[in-house]
Amino acid sequence: MSGEALSLFAAGLLAAWLRATAPILLAALGGLVSERAGVINVGLEGLMLVAAFFGVLGSAFAPQWWPGAAAWVYPWVGAASGLSAALVLALVLAVFHLEFGADLIVAGIGINLLAAGVTVFAMVTLTGDKGSTAGLLSHALPALHIPGVAGWPLLDALLNGDGGRGHHVLIYAAFGAVAIVAWLLWRTRLGLRLRAAGENPEAARAAGLPVKRLQYLALGFSGLLAGLGGLYLSMGYLTLFQADMTAGRGFLALAAVFLGARRPLGTLAAALLFGAASVLAGQLGLLHIPTQVVYMIPPAATVIAMVLFAQRREQLRRRALAAALIQLNPTGATAPTPGLPSQ
Amino acid sequence: MRLATSGRMRTLAMVLLVLALAWALIAMVSHEPLHAFRLLLTGALPEVRWSPDLGFSVRRMARFGAVIEETITLSLLGLAVLFGFRARQFSMGADGQFFLGALAAALASTWVAPLPGLSLLLAAIAAVATGFAWGLLAGVLKARFGANEIVTTLMLNVVAIQLYRLVITLWFNDPSANMIVSPLVPDGAALTPWLARTNITAFVLSLPLAAAAAWWLLNRTTTGFEIRAVGDSPAFAAQVGMPVRRAIALSMALGGAFAGLAGLHVSNALLKRLPVDLNPGIGFEGLVIALMARNDPAAVPLSALLYACLKAGAQAMERASDVPRELVLVLQACIVLLVVSERLLPTFARRGKT
Amino acid sequence: MTSQLSVRQLVKRYPNGVLASDGVSFDVPASEVHAVVGENGAGKSTVMKMIYGLEAPDAGEVMLDGRPCRFKSPADAIAAGIGLVPQHLQLVSSLTVAENIVLGAEPVRGVLRRFDRQQAETLTRELARQHGLEADATAIVAELSVGQQQRVEILKALHRGARVLLLDEPTALLSPQEADELFRSLRRMVDRGLTVVLITHKLSEVIEVSDRFTVMRSGRVVGGGHSKDHTQAQLAELIVGCSVDTASAPRVDARGREPLVQVRGLGMVRARGRAELQGISLDVAAGEILGIAGVEGNGQNRLADVLSGLVAPSIGSVSIDGAPLAGRGVRHARALGVGCVPEDRLHSGVAVGLSVAENSAAVDYHRPPASHAGLLDMRFIRQRARALMSSHEVRCRDEQVGMVTLSGGNMQKVVFGRELQAQPRFLIASQPTRGVDIGAAQRLRRSLVALRDAGAAVLLISADLDEIGALADRVAVLYEGRLVAHFAGRVSPRTLGLYMTGLACDAGASATLAAPFSSLPAEATA
Repeated sequence: MSGEALSLFAAGLLAAWLRATAPILLAALGGLVSERAGVINVGLEGLMLVAAFFGVLGSAFAPQWWPGAAAWVYPWVGAASGLSAALVLALVLAVFHLEFGADLIVAGIGINLLAAGVTVFAMVTLTGDKGSTAGLLSHALPALHIPGVAGWPLLDALLNGDGGRGHHVLIYAAFGAVAIVAWLLWRTRLGLRLRAAGENPEAARAAGLPVKRLQYLALGFSGLLAGLGGLYLSMGYLTLFQADMTAGRGFLALAAVFLGARRPLGTLAAALLFGAASVLAGQLGLLHIPTQVVYMIPPAATVIAMVLFAQRREQLRRRALAAALIQLNPTGATAPTPGLPSQ
Repeated sequence: MRLATSGRMRTLAMVLLVLALAWALIAMVSHEPLHAFRLLLTGALPEVRWSPDLGFSVRRMARFGAVIEETITLSLLGLAVLFGFRARQFSMGADGQFFLGALAAALASTWVAPLPGLSLLLAAIAAVATGFAWGLLAGVLKARFGANEIVTTLMLNVVAIQLYRLVITLWFNDPSANMIVSPLVPDGAALTPWLARTNITAFVLSLPLAAAAAWWLLNRTTTGFEIRAVGDSPAFAAQVGMPVRRAIALSMALGGAFAGLAGLHVSNALLKRLPVDLNPGIGFEGLVIALMARNDPAAVPLSALLYACLKAGAQAMERASDVPRELVLVLQACIVLLVVSERLLPTFARRGKT
Repeated sequence: MTSQLSVRQLVKRYPNGVLASDGVSFDVPASEVHAVVGENGAGKSTVMKMIYGLEAPDAGEVMLDGRPCRFKSPADAIAAGIGLVPQHLQLVSSLTVAENIVLGAEPVRGVLRRFDRQQAETLTRELARQHGLEADATAIVAELSVGQQQRVEILKALHRGARVLLLDEPTALLSPQEADELFRSLRRMVDRGLTVVLITHKLSEVIEVSDRFTVMRSGRVVGGGHSKDHTQAQLAELIVGCSVDTASAPRVDARGREPLVQVRGLGMVRARGRAELQGISLDVAAGEILGIAGVEGNGQNRLADVLSGLVAPSIGSVSIDGAPLAGRGVRHARALGVGCVPEDRLHSGVAVGLSVAENSAAVDYHRPPASHAGLLDMRFIRQRARALMSSHEVRCRDEQVGMVTLSGGNMQKVVFGRELQAQPRFLIASQPTRGVDIGAAQRLRRSLVALRDAGAAVLLISADLDEIGALADRVAVLYEGRLVAHFAGRVSPRTLGLYMTGLACDAGASATLAAPFSSLPAEATA
């Protein structure tokens, strides 16, 4: 392959990588915010699914509701309806947990089941098709074309993806969201309160913070972000909804939060890793590495990372205890210990 | 016991609420709601007709057979999830344990020299042992390293399912079939149906037996005692000297064993061959069963039966009316949400004096 | 005299029937350090909660600057100028000092409501300077010492405009130096106009830092006055009360005998704060009861945890009959004949979700005859439980009922029965009759004596001086993690009170059989 062809191939690969990463990243950032606020959101999968479905629905039926509007409006109507659906579902989760005392994990799984049921139920009722909404004409959200780089083919390929159409707006949104979430959590008053409520709700309450309201906000926000991720699936590369379209991305997003040590940059790295795995799965077939092995790498990496994090916490605890030992024997002459405290 | 009855009353109230919701949804989308609702409730059952010249005839047996088969699988998976819950662990690993158990059963049946009668036993051992080991892995990760079991079990599910697909695609597929599927389980290892036109096999005995075994494990063995004590009060368990970590790990391992058994059922009794695209997610249905049964093994078979009837009823309803069967997924979700909402219905339990 | 803070006839009865406050009244003038003193269960925490709006009084009122106040929540109290420094610090560990201080009232900048970090830090520094409290605004709370963290709590309260500062057992986790530092700061702040209410059980603090005090016992005010005007002995007597010398079993004098249980140089640190136990050395001989007196929270629970094998000590040794015990786990200890009645009955003593029979089998279910090869013998377990229930007069329907339906006294009887059934050589009984009705309590005490007479060693850890007085052959006092006194059983509660509240201290005391008894302080005999 010539040098230029190789770099174009790489640019195409990069585009595919970004496409695979974006939905996971968006949902993971939503998971990060709720986790930090103390309300882990296991229902990301369901939130993505409803957004994907109602996005398609909105964009397909918009011409009926606003026949006179310009064509570019319809996908945004879809986006609005998809996000609203995700927000509503997230608030359902919040109400069941915060008002009715439902266990957060189980309720999250209930949300996933609810989403799976509602989407296909509604799809069949409205379109008569069980598998997908291929019968509906729905639109994609636009791609953003960066002008003025036509003179540099490599840069053009990088910034504008394959075919020169530009990266999808939600891809930009995903990476922009990293900065926004980081800024929100560490630079705003709201973010400070969310983190406090998540880390030590007692202290937060004592300081007068409305912990319940903050957790509602966090879950709602995670619904919006997960919704964006879901929108990308059905209004990005593909412009239809398929049953069980999310295929586990919501769970991968949750894992990305933990693999990324619950920080925005870490979550970004983890999401990139997960996205790379799905892209490479196809490519590595050339090297006789089965796709299934590649798909195993992200979850295995997550498990290993969690073990390492746990060991590090334990190490720090032991060090603190060892340092405190000085209180007992300032002279340094210690009697033989039967071993450090094990609990 | 008074406490248990009030819990059952609440579950009953929840189920009634859900059925009311079903009615509301059906009424919204159907032109013949009464017909559809009736189908939902009774569609699973076989039809027994009597006519003067033919006497009794039973129809739709095959459908009822499918309900029983599903009940068996779900019951085993409900028991699987229950073990972790009794130890207060949120293990979501039933899916992965199920897949690997099914794979192990199929492998053992096919690759081990078929000895009459023994290959089924070996398949069973392989399924249970594999499920146990996979559950133990998650258990050790939690007990030894304190790794959050929700995330680890979800991740291990993915690994397990990919492993399943890998093995079937590369080494264990039937070239003569026109889809990627494992070879047929040899007759010696397959279970023969007891009822014509169904796949109800000797496995139906597992409904009472597995539930009894789970009950017995939890209430009559030292390990089960430890699991329940740790789930009730970890501080108490530590104070009296119980091996808390071991109990946590074993709770997940034992759950895995039951999930592996469910895999054996699907592999050697139901499907007789494993497709590479077997649908994941059945582990979460086991979770719904465990919740409905309030983590009591004795209530699992009945919960599984009711659930399977509802699912089959929904299928019948879809076939004969204009309501899609995905309604049952919505109902399933509502059951889950309502059953765990502690504050929704007041508990009638009398708290003892402390 | 117009006082800044007054409470008048406060009454509070909790839903479980306990009368925590019975007509409590006292006054705190402005710019004073006022100590509210009493043991655990005296009712001082409840009064504090009512002042701070955490609980609503059933009757009576709280008055601030002469006006009655009705606080529905801490937010109301804070708005009125009352601040609280809680015993268990409520700070968010991963945030900085400045962030913790402004939490809930954070300064913002710009239209985007950006958190104004610089402003918060400037504010913090200014506040610290103003009140003479040293604090590094940018330090992360998790990395601070307990004394420094407490200062952050104080600054937090001051930031919200506290004119009256409540401190709940402030020196619980502090080293002596940190405590001195705290008192100096409090004095400085009071000189500038702050009013301080100190809630404590340590009389040493009352003497050292307070101007006036109020003593509470069993929910009532039993005394008060100017701290300078009272002797230590008078104060101690007010706190512990004059208890009648209850008729008790004959005492055993085990000195000179070989100890069964030997503890040498036991120490236990925690990651943050003062060590929980330091330099504990004690012996218990077979056939004697060693009492450990002390206000709860001075290391008793840790001591019981170490001796029962639940946790390993940081330093030191424990042996029973020469065999080492420490850090080898509960089952190893039990195999050596150690039994334990834990202090927290509901969480560690019993499993409320299991049946009475199962609870009674919890310590030896893993061995024959309760189980064989992993299978429980339920018939044996039930039979034994029934026998236990009848011999210990446990009142419930049968052995199959859930533990949760039993009263506290009956639960404790099951715990005792379970431990005694194992025929321990060494029993640790931690607050054994707390929350237990009188009849059951007497029964339980009789079983401890019977156990001793049968030749076992008993360690009785109790904050109830009547109980110590009635049962212990020897007594040691635990204060701030150290043994500060060692007496023969028939020591007066007044004397014990002096040591329990920090007024007197026999530094380096140990409770070994060879160790001398502490000499009685002069005031006690006055």
